[in-house]
Amino acid sequence: MLRGLTTVCFQTRGVKQLVNVKWVKPEYVPAYKPQKSGDLENLPNISQSSIPEDYALSEHLKDAPETVKQLFSVAHLGKKEYNALVKKELMDRVRKHKYDDDTPETKIAKLTGHIRCLQDTMEQFPRNIKTKVCVQELIDKRKKLLKFLRQYDYKKFEWLLEKLNIEYKAHPEDPHKLTRKESLRKLTEMHCDEIRNNKLADYRNLLESQQGPFLENKLKALKFIRNEQIELKLSITVTEQDISKVEKQLDDWKIRNEQKQELKKKKKKLI
Amino acid sequence: MASHLKDAAKKFLLLGQCVPTIKQNAAKIRVKRLELDENLLMYFRKDEFYYCYDPNKICKTGDVVLIQSLPHKMTKLITHEVKEVVYPLGDVTDPITGKKVAKERYRDDIEKEAELYGKLESSFDYNKAKPRGWQDGKKDFTSKPTYTKFNVFDKEDPYAL
Repeated sequence: MLRGLTTVCFQTRGVKQLVNVKWVKPEYVPAYKPQKSGDLENLPNISQSSIPEDYALSEHLKDAPETVKQLFSVAHLGKKEYNALVKKELMDRVRKHKYDDDTPETKIAKLTGHIRCLQDTMEQFPRNIKTKVCVQELIDKRKKLLKFLRQYDYKKFEWLLEKLNIEYKAHPEDPHKLTRKESLRKLTEMHCDEIRNNKLADYRNLLESQQGPFLENKLKALKFIRNEQIELKLSITVTEQDISKVEKQLDDWKIRNEQKQELKKKKKKLI
Repeated sequence: MASHLKDAAKKFLLLGQCVPTIKQNAAKIRVKRLELDENLLMYFRKDEFYYCYDPNKICKTGDVVLIQSLPHKMTKLITHEVKEVVYPLGDVTDPITGKKVAKERYRDDIEKEAELYGKLESSFDYNKAKPRGWQDGKKDFTSKPTYTKFNVFDKEDPYAL
């Protein structure tokens, strides 16, 4: 009881926060999870009554009674046979020829099948450490193979990502453990940037709003000068082109201003 | 004298590799150099980074490119411009025969081998393949640098790991 109270009392340690930023620490996600490994797809649709590869070609099994078929089905033979079918399914998506099982694309497909099976196992038994280690190793291996494939055959790499539904993200430049201090620093920096950008945008808006009246005045003045010069038969310094240029600028400003006002109205309505 | 030569050479043309960056109209180029450690009398690798003006985005991450210094600095950061792409990443052409290469083998040879075994429809066809970049930002996240996720935002960034 007392210990709990003391920890509550001394929680104000560390950096004193002067800026009002709220840090929400990202939740820990185990590395075997699909969102971390980059798998965008679950196990392929393979029915429990399908027959493993070894028996699939058998003539006797085709006209065998239902009970015998059930005995030879994946549901009865176990997970191992089911996993083999999953791997085969994924390898068939990218296979080059019938006997192809050691090209990079088939290797990656095979690993992907294995990884997805183990991920399924991990969902059921999250405390199975052996599987956890195994799936982690396989994910790393696949990433390495993808990295190499990217380096020597980019087109095939992209095609493979599409076929197997995998995401590829490179390793961070400096992988490190997340700290509170670093996160707060980054958030503060973002907060300051936001303030700066908002101020700049406000100032920009102010200047742009003053542009219209200024251009109108300028147009009037130019026209007046030109008329005076013509009347008094002085050398003309303000040409028609100058006036048309200012008119065009004014028209542009009016269009932009209308668009801005519409946007503002829309925002107000949304709020 | 030597330093003068070095500076002059730097201003002429440099060969480097494009690395991921968040800059929009510029590419970040890494130029590998060797630096002599006078105590050990050994050369050690030393990287230099240049930001190069590239409005048309001719170079993508990983490409080996030639860069040249601009007559005047464009911004505080951008000092060079991208001249040309020498070797695009993952699309190498053999300079002697002019054939396309994948790793240590010609692509034609790989295709021929597949045809001898009986090519399947599921296999990858180089002729039908789209040019690089169609998966960029969808499944291939290599054009920008990835970083450790440090906060939970409303909109999730795919480059945060």
